[in-house]
Amino acid sequence: MRRLPRRDKLKIYGDLLSILYGEAKAEKVVLTRVQLKTNVPFDRLKVYLTELKELGLVVDEPSLKLTEKGKQYIKEYQTVLDFMKRMGLTYK
Amino acid sequence: MENAALILAEIVSAVLCFILLKYMITPYRVTREARYIGLPLGFAFLGASYLFMGFAYYFEKYLFVEEIKWLQLFTQAYALAFLATTYFFSKSSKTKSIMWNITYAGLVLVAIISYLIVFEPPMLGLPSYKTVDEYFRIFNILCLSYIFIHTLRSHLSKPDSKTLWIPLSYLLLAFGQYSSLIWSLETVFVANVGAHILRIAGLLLFVFVVYQTFFGSKQAFPKEGIWDEEASAQR
Repeated sequence: MRRLPRRDKLKIYGDLLSILYGEAKAEKVVLTRVQLKTNVPFDRLKVYLTELKELGLVVDEPSLKLTEKGKQYIKEYQTVLDFMKRMGLTYK
Repeated sequence: MENAALILAEIVSAVLCFILLKYMITPYRVTREARYIGLPLGFAFLGASYLFMGFAYYFEKYLFVEEIKWLQLFTQAYALAFLATTYFFSKSSKTKSIMWNITYAGLVLVAIISYLIVFEPPMLGLPSYKTVDEYFRIFNILCLSYIFIHTLRSHLSKPDSKTLWIPLSYLLLAFGQYSSLIWSLETVFVANVGAHILRIAGLLLFVFVVYQTFFGSKQAFPKEGIWDEEASAQR
């Protein structure tokens, strides 16, 4: 089995936010599905979500979704990742 | 007249480098990983080296010109060493972070020592500027060739038209250094002109990539919550 490279918090937040953005169309965000997509244990996923809420990047009313700040974050982060890719730099 | 054109070319190169510096710092600012600090440092040193050369052309009749030329030589070599180090460590895992820190600290230390040497030449008796210049050009070509191969391999692993410009930019900078070497060895004027044109063309390509990324077509959000190809490969 291939060992996956460790992700830092920055990358996990990025993955999580973009998955939540993708799930926004669903009536209710199913955490198990988010957990499967982000590939983090459920208990840690809950910790990350609490941190994201504290940072004002997601809200939980009525269902989990990105705030404007969260959307801005993934936009900027994706731009930087795109820049690094264009520059031929690896980020892992 | 000839000098004015050379001064202008150096100033244009320096300005382009300092514009690029603002964007080259973003990978470090966002990730806070020391391995990416070489990118802004490299472009800062590169810009400074072009400024030094511009000064050297402008004050060519003054006594301190020799020192400025030596500074330019060292600064440019450090710029490319910093860039090559960044690319070298960009592949390594985070567990080797101590290696990045030691290497960057070593480079900064060597830079400081060599700058001190420049201002104390009688004590150490440096060889002629022309000879050292030729060796430094070869070193610069080696650094740029390494970066070119690295970026080209990165492009070939996932071919995309967007990632082709950067290897081309580094290749132009390498050819610019090669032209400078020919100018130094054979004093062919066309080689000197070519070196400046190739260098500015290379830097303009970098500016084009920066413009495309930060001001070009606005990034769309990932449609299915997939962050990027790398992230999707992990899942």
